[in-house]
Amino acid sequence: MKRTVRLLMLVPLLGATQTLNAALGMILMLSVVIGLFAVCMASLRNHLASTSVLLASLVVAATLTSCADLSAQRWFLPWRQTSEVYIGLIALQCVALECSGFLRAPMTKCLKRCVMFGTLMLVTGGLREIIGHGTLGRGLSTHWPGLVLFPEGLHLFTLVPGALVLSGLLLAVHQAWTRRHSVIKETHRP
Amino acid sequence: MNRPASVATLVLLALIGASATYVLQRSSAPQIANEQRLLDSRQLLDVMPAALYDNQPLEQPLTLAEPVLRYSTLSGGYRATRSGQTVAVLLRSRSEGYAGTLELLIAIDANGKLLGVKTLEQRETPGLGGHIGEWPNAWLQAFIGKSRTEPTDADWALKKDQGQFDQIAGATITSRAAINAIHDALRYFDEHRALLLGTDP
Repeated sequence: MKRTVRLLMLVPLLGATQTLNAALGMILMLSVVIGLFAVCMASLRNHLASTSVLLASLVVAATLTSCADLSAQRWFLPWRQTSEVYIGLIALQCVALECSGFLRAPMTKCLKRCVMFGTLMLVTGGLREIIGHGTLGRGLSTHWPGLVLFPEGLHLFTLVPGALVLSGLLLAVHQAWTRRHSVIKETHRP
Repeated sequence: MNRPASVATLVLLALIGASATYVLQRSSAPQIANEQRLLDSRQLLDVMPAALYDNQPLEQPLTLAEPVLRYSTLSGGYRATRSGQTVAVLLRSRSEGYAGTLELLIAIDANGKLLGVKTLEQRETPGLGGHIGEWPNAWLQAFIGKSRTEPTDADWALKKDQGQFDQIAGATITSRAAINAIHDALRYFDEHRALLLGTDP
């Protein structure tokens, strides 16, 4: 179950982070929907038989996601057009998080993981925009065209496969870093 | 918790959820439609500088007489005005590219000079002729400021055809179609100037 949740969270991480702007929108959407979902489920869980909890979580997740989608269409239409598919998926993520017991874990642990995921999305979005488009923060505001770092970027990184490559590289950096700090150097000398 | 109460809670929850979604959808439908229209018009109208006009050109469609031209067909036209004065005319032109229909939006100012060209629809080969669909587009920008008579008719062609324009690398047919469509539109503007600008009595 945990693996399913991880795989599901990988989808917005790779798909909805073409730019910093897109990543920020997705983080906002995820945090609002999952936050409200957690609050609703916490109060509902005690009033329902255990078999009905799944059904209730489905209804709540569907309601929250549709309402969030409608609000996004109303206020952030340009962003919503690029991330349309991934908004619908939030409902599934909510249900998966509920089933895996993630939301029943202590509050601080939940929050810590959410913040970590959000930071990862921001970093991926920022790096993809810098490498792929050569800019940073384009589209964040209508008055500010964004920071132009290079005139042209590597097109691959604007696509989903590029995001997968980048996340692989980030993972490698992370592993190299943790290993350097934890593993005692092996030597052949006695 | 007993079963009937649980079922009742679920039904209540479903009712609340459905009605909340319905109410939100009903209340924001006009705004969403409005936003969509704004976005669409912005995407079309970035073919020319926004400071140039102060009306909603897409709400002022023109009826075009004899829209079938030599190389292309005009499928629509719009008039951009500034304090009541026509400053530009936008023409939608359809022609045959290499792999299918090529639809361009061509903006011409009141003096018959080209303000900008934008590709609305294309099915050209990705990586070759497909470059014509990119925006902003350096190749299409080369036409800005040109008019029907400047350059001359013979120069309105690719360098390959003894004209003065470069072509998109590896896409002669696409480039030729675009040049002919632009020239057609400029010629049409010159021939129907009074009607398009609205100065006809």
